[in-house]
Amino acid sequence: MATEVYRESFERRTKTVRYIRILEGLADTQFGPVYLGMWGAFALFSYLMCVFITAIGYGEQVGYNPIRFLREFAVLTLYPPSSASGLQMAPLQQGGYWQLATLFLVLTLVFWTIRIWTRAVANGLRPMVPVAFSAALFLFAAIYVIHPIWVGSWNEAPGHGIRAVLLWTNHFSVKYGNFYYNPFHMLSIFGLLGSTVILAMHGGTILATLSYGSHRELDEIEDSDEGTHRAQLLWRWVMGFNATAFSIHQWALGFATLVAVAGAIGVLASGPVEPNWFVWGCRADITPGLQAACPTP
Amino acid sequence: MLSFEAKYRQEAMAVPPRATFGLMKIWIGRFYLGFWGIVALVFGLLGSTVWFWQVLFVDPNRTPNPLLNFIRGQIAPPPPSVGSAITFDPSKGFWWLFVVFCATVTFFAWMMRQADISRLLKIGYQVPIAFGAVLSSWVTIQIVRPLLLGHWSEGFPLGVMAHLDWLSAFGYRYYNFFYNPFHAIGITLLFGSAFVLSLHGATILSGAYKKAEGVNEDNINRFYWDFFGYSIGEIGIHRLAFWTAILCVLMSNLCFVLSGTVVQDWSAFWNFWNVAPWWNGFGF
Repeated sequence: MATEVYRESFERRTKTVRYIRILEGLADTQFGPVYLGMWGAFALFSYLMCVFITAIGYGEQVGYNPIRFLREFAVLTLYPPSSASGLQMAPLQQGGYWQLATLFLVLTLVFWTIRIWTRAVANGLRPMVPVAFSAALFLFAAIYVIHPIWVGSWNEAPGHGIRAVLLWTNHFSVKYGNFYYNPFHMLSIFGLLGSTVILAMHGGTILATLSYGSHRELDEIEDSDEGTHRAQLLWRWVMGFNATAFSIHQWALGFATLVAVAGAIGVLASGPVEPNWFVWGCRADITPGLQAACPTP
Repeated sequence: MLSFEAKYRQEAMAVPPRATFGLMKIWIGRFYLGFWGIVALVFGLLGSTVWFWQVLFVDPNRTPNPLLNFIRGQIAPPPPSVGSAITFDPSKGFWWLFVVFCATVTFFAWMMRQADISRLLKIGYQVPIAFGAVLSSWVTIQIVRPLLLGHWSEGFPLGVMAHLDWLSAFGYRYYNFFYNPFHAIGITLLFGSAFVLSLHGATILSGAYKKAEGVNEDNINRFYWDFFGYSIGEIGIHRLAFWTAILCVLMSNLCFVLSGTVVQDWSAFWNFWNVAPWWNGFGF
């Protein structure tokens, strides 16, 4: 069994463990041992490459002055190539840095997904965490790779920088006629706010029933006990419906996945499928206050 | 009733009432009623009846299609001329004030009801506290901020598309909300919530599906040590969940209440950065 072999090697590596005492009473204190492995090494290498390329690109913009770097950090940006160069390789200063950094960033995320997949299997778990992570990876790929390729221009993708991603979010919404009218965006936001609600509900419920042992979730799923009973009755009496120790985690995974998948569909549909979501709203007849701004049919 | 429920209902009946908690201790089907349940029911029904009546039968932009009206209908807040006065004029936003009042009472009663039930079940009050965070958001946006600025018209219209239009316009009213640092922290915690939720849900499922093969929390701990060197633990993850979600809401309160009261332009807000004293002597 791969799991058994792995457990033995784990015993040997426990020398690298550290304990952070300040966390006592709040959360587990053990740090490490972290696993590197082949896929971890690949992920680390491509991430460092991405950071290196970004640092060179930023460095050129501030003349390698560390104080200027700190002062302008939030606005420093690796811009994608201009729309004129389409999907071509661009010169380094005109989007080439962005292309290289993005390539290594995508590789990092792919290697990272494979890495957590192999780690989940090696520890005897079903690889649900990498499955969940791949939903986020899909949203990332939709924004940075699939949509730009579909519309034929890397310029459609966000730049790399703090202000750059905010500007992109703003411009992308406006460019496609206001994302508030994009039904997939609505669904994604529903999932996003819903995720926060479910997180607060689940976290609050388990903390409230800690003294009855509801936090031992794997055991509670197999054979529910007093803590889970009280938690279930709380919601049944409050709103007439309760999840189980198992199904609440299905709700959790479902809502969180909805954010990324609906968001990715919303991004991909912008342009090729629907060039202007406000006009879509006009066609769907849901813009009563702004009828004057709608195109005449 | 659930198989184990009778025992807990008997236990709840034995809990002595205190002030408004534990009054009207009866169950209607699955639902617990209680004093605060009655308050929530009365004001919730009143508010939603008025909302549906306004949206389906009064809204000047209504269509023959009720489902469409549900999405595009609205009750607009009072115009700026009303200020923060209480108006009884239906043409000047009385029904907005009425529904906001009903909703606020309902939300508060719902929180008290959760506390009531938590008390009967002898568990902690974390659920009503978390609900209180989101109640504070409603109160901040619809009541506190409008009163600080002296206009009910600062509140958002009660309607599906109308509140999206309001939010869209609000984002550009103080130059651009993407420059609002509390908005940025709020959004980070919002996506952080989805991230934590996804990780936690997937983690527990990944172990639960393999329970027959003897998987327990040790496997999950080892997975997380492998993964990024730290496993927060089965209690810690729920503390993290609770505070990520609550701080997300509290940060968004801050980002709303500062806009228009203290800060008029979130881009100009950052002007302090370039002239901050710590850059002195570096030749800028």
